[in-house]
Amino acid sequence: MKKTFLWVVAAAVVLSLAACGGGKVSLTFWTSHTPPDSDTLKAMVDVWNKANPAIQVKFVQVPGSETDVAKLMTAVRGGTGPDVYFLDRFTVAQRAAAGVLTDITAQVKKQDPNLASQYVPYAWAETQFKGKTYALPFDTDSRVLYYNKDMVKAAGFDPAMFDPAKGPLTLAEVQRIAFRINKTDKSGAYTQVGFIPYDTTFSQGWHYTWGFDFGGKFADLAAGKVTPTDPNIVKAFQFLHDWAKAMGPQKVQTFISTYSPPNNPPQQNPFLIGKVAMMVSGDWVLNWIRMYAPNLSYGVTYIPVPNKGDKPSTWSGGWSLVIPTGSKHVDQAYKFMSWMAGPEGQKAYTVGTLHMPTWLSLLNDASLFDPQHLFFKQILDISYSRPPLPVGALYWDALTQAENEVTLDQQDPMTALQKVADAVNPQLAQYLPLE
Amino acid sequence: MLRKILGLKVLPRIVLLLMCLVYFLPFYWMVATSFKDNAQLSSFPPSIFPSPLVWRNYVDAVNYIPFLQFLVNSLVLTAGATLGAMVSNSLIAYGFARIAWKGRDALFYVAIATIFIPFPVTLVALFDIFARLHWIDTYLPLIVPTFFGQAFYMFLIRQFLMGVPKELSDAARMDGANELTIFSSVILPLMKPAIAVVAIFAAVNAWNDFLTPLIYLQTESRYPLSIGLQFYRAEHTVSFSLLMAASTLVVLPVVALFFFFQRFFIEGVSLGAVKG
Amino acid sequence: MTPANRRNLKNGLLFVSPWILGFAFFQIYPILYSLRLSFTRYSGFGNAVDIGLGNFIRLFQDPLFWQAAYNTLYYTVLAVPVGVVVAIALALAMHQRVREVSAYRALLYLPSILPLFALSFVWVVFVNPRYGLLSELFRLFGIDPPDFIGNPAFTKLGLVLLAQLGAGGPALIFLAGIQAIPRDLFESAEIDGAGALRQFFGITLPLITPVILYDIILGLSYGLQVFTQAYVITAGGEAGASTAGPLNSLLFYVLYIYKTAFQYTEMGYASALVWVFFIISLVMALFVFRWARRWVHYEA
Repeated sequence: MKKTFLWVVAAAVVLSLAACGGGKVSLTFWTSHTPPDSDTLKAMVDVWNKANPAIQVKFVQVPGSETDVAKLMTAVRGGTGPDVYFLDRFTVAQRAAAGVLTDITAQVKKQDPNLASQYVPYAWAETQFKGKTYALPFDTDSRVLYYNKDMVKAAGFDPAMFDPAKGPLTLAEVQRIAFRINKTDKSGAYTQVGFIPYDTTFSQGWHYTWGFDFGGKFADLAAGKVTPTDPNIVKAFQFLHDWAKAMGPQKVQTFISTYSPPNNPPQQNPFLIGKVAMMVSGDWVLNWIRMYAPNLSYGVTYIPVPNKGDKPSTWSGGWSLVIPTGSKHVDQAYKFMSWMAGPEGQKAYTVGTLHMPTWLSLLNDASLFDPQHLFFKQILDISYSRPPLPVGALYWDALTQAENEVTLDQQDPMTALQKVADAVNPQLAQYLPLE
Repeated sequence: MLRKILGLKVLPRIVLLLMCLVYFLPFYWMVATSFKDNAQLSSFPPSIFPSPLVWRNYVDAVNYIPFLQFLVNSLVLTAGATLGAMVSNSLIAYGFARIAWKGRDALFYVAIATIFIPFPVTLVALFDIFARLHWIDTYLPLIVPTFFGQAFYMFLIRQFLMGVPKELSDAARMDGANELTIFSSVILPLMKPAIAVVAIFAAVNAWNDFLTPLIYLQTESRYPLSIGLQFYRAEHTVSFSLLMAASTLVVLPVVALFFFFQRFFIEGVSLGAVKG
Repeated sequence: MTPANRRNLKNGLLFVSPWILGFAFFQIYPILYSLRLSFTRYSGFGNAVDIGLGNFIRLFQDPLFWQAAYNTLYYTVLAVPVGVVVAIALALAMHQRVREVSAYRALLYLPSILPLFALSFVWVVFVNPRYGLLSELFRLFGIDPPDFIGNPAFTKLGLVLLAQLGAGGPALIFLAGIQAIPRDLFESAEIDGAGALRQFFGITLPLITPVILYDIILGLSYGLQVFTQAYVITAGGEAGASTAGPLNSLLFYVLYIYKTAFQYTEMGYASALVWVFFIISLVMALFVFRWARRWVHYEA
């Protein structure tokens, strides 16, 4: 009898000790990144796990894309979502408005009331919705004008014109060079092209790129409206329209379908293979050139501006870390997240993947950037980010439709952009006030 | 005379060969691309025949993801889904075709109507159901529903069964056999070919389906090959030749399956869809 | 009810019970749930706000709804008849009495089992305006090859062509139908002096009309719900959402529903889109069945 009783007590003690645990918590961390970036992330998680036995993180790779989060949403709804998720910063406001994300304002305040000042301002701005914080910024990028020195020379121009030390070129200058580089064959189809400012299949010729370049404002958050009909944005679209018309809209499409069809591998990026002399794109292209076109003679400079003397600009995207709704370990998840998105985590990621950090002090550490990347880092100072809207994806798609219509000469800029306002503002209205 | 020979022997063969060429091209292209390296992929226009043949791509493709694990998972999922489709749809189609009962046709049309329901919204509600059952991250949501019939396959087998003479069943009934016996002894043997058709379609669908497993599975080690293929597409790059190599490997088992079942397949459908 | 009828009812229901149970567990709830959602505004999280007919009113004023409906109907009206014709043609090809016909059948069926994913990659290469094989073919006939990727007027047509690569499946079903026709019908027609063409239109075609109906209904449901090809072809490209083809020419209805539900997180509106679609497709199916009564010959 006594023996049995002792066993029961022993068992009870053991069980209760196990239950208190030592407080070990297990978190799941999802990302849709793939190698090589995901390898770096995994290594970082391993570092964390070693140093933090009480908070163990399980790293899971989930196929998906930036704005398509069917899997995340169904999982969170069903109560089987992850504790930490890698989210495109651009969509934070939208997901927050939908109720997918956990409000981490309190945790941020507890960690450091001035946390905002440690991050690049535009990156922090994207993590806010209705005055609350829903994400921590992670990495970022920027966009420049890439130019092929050989092709420019062959057309009779001195590539030194493009040197950023001289400031940005004007669009008129760029057009002159570009049209000289254009070549067609007997049937009139383009075999070589100087510049297609509005292409988005192999470059970043988005509406935002040129809207920002012309000094346009895409939204008035205080008034709770999107403003696609901002006169500067209309001017930008007019510029794109005129460029398309001058080159022949359908002929340009055919060129793009030929050399940059959907799912074209980066090895065959038209700029890399010397079919296009100039393109606006981001720092990820540096890696491509290194791997697939190491002998390419190229340079980078500011995105060209409408008038001489205009200040250059660019825009940035990037990722962030969030805690989806329904996580049972918010505080622990936040601890992990703030380490990843903090100086240690971001440093490891920058070194491992050559992306740029959003932690300000890291940006001032020149040793982290190879020479080619420096220019991209410099222009972060003049970089915009897209307005954090609960209808971000809708707005983006509507603007893209408008850009399409204008460059295929189906619609004039003002009408096309007005349609965007008409489509998006009623939807935005549901979320007012925004601040 | 010459015209007749041309018409009967040569012309059909030429046309047939041309059609086969067109239909074979996608597969050929996939395989050819799988043997190219970066340099060959960069060349424009793309070459028709890869040279040299980079066999290494297949090794790399298999190492890029947990290929073997995913293969086993695909096999399990496909076997389960195929079994479910074969078992349930035969029983259900039998009920809709070989027994005359009140309300049968009306109910059948309801079943057909479900073919027209688009999946996105029902996907969410369905996920809720499975979440409540705690079936998320298991194979249950992917296999269990197949044991409850699917309209497309029910329709197919039912058409087939409507063509088998009623007298067969009536005679057995008059002999006093119960319905289950009639099903298993009299009708089932005749149904084998139709069931084989459903088996192939169900197997191919399960093998290639990536959306449903994507939604319901969360642990990487449980993913099937169809999701595995998605991993070759990174955010700003696509490991093209590896993707093609992997896709070729993923397709081969299905091709083998087809050759094996081809026999049943033709015979089976033969008696089936003609009748109303 | 007679005892025999009662027994049949019991047995019938018993055999059909798996479907009834499955329908009750896995389909009724989602169907009713989506119906209820269609009258609300709901992101998928938190509370669903009742807005009565708001979604439906919005739907009729939504240019994207009309675009998606147009794209889908255009595609379906094109793809279904073309699909039937191609499938029958393939079936006739598979029916030829030559020795190596089983190899031919396998080859013709092959593209239907390739993952659509991989098939779309291959397709894009084939329709390349400059170097694609299809474009060369056009040039052979002296026609300027259309740009199936970049020209909004041709993108849907391109997808219809792509879909024909998958005609192997329906072809096999037609093949069976053709093979089931008693040979003596053809022999007596031959004796009467009817040529191959006459035999096809006089004997073959009428007797495979039940299969044609089956294929039309299936084609209708596939066509109306076309999703994967457009999703695969357009989900790529640089950072940011896609337009579903130039000028949204490939924005198909189910793709629009998918975007609305998961990219824009508007489950209520998506549900309204689902129901409008469902009702319209049922009406279409009903018409097909009614119309079919006039030309389908069932064997006695």
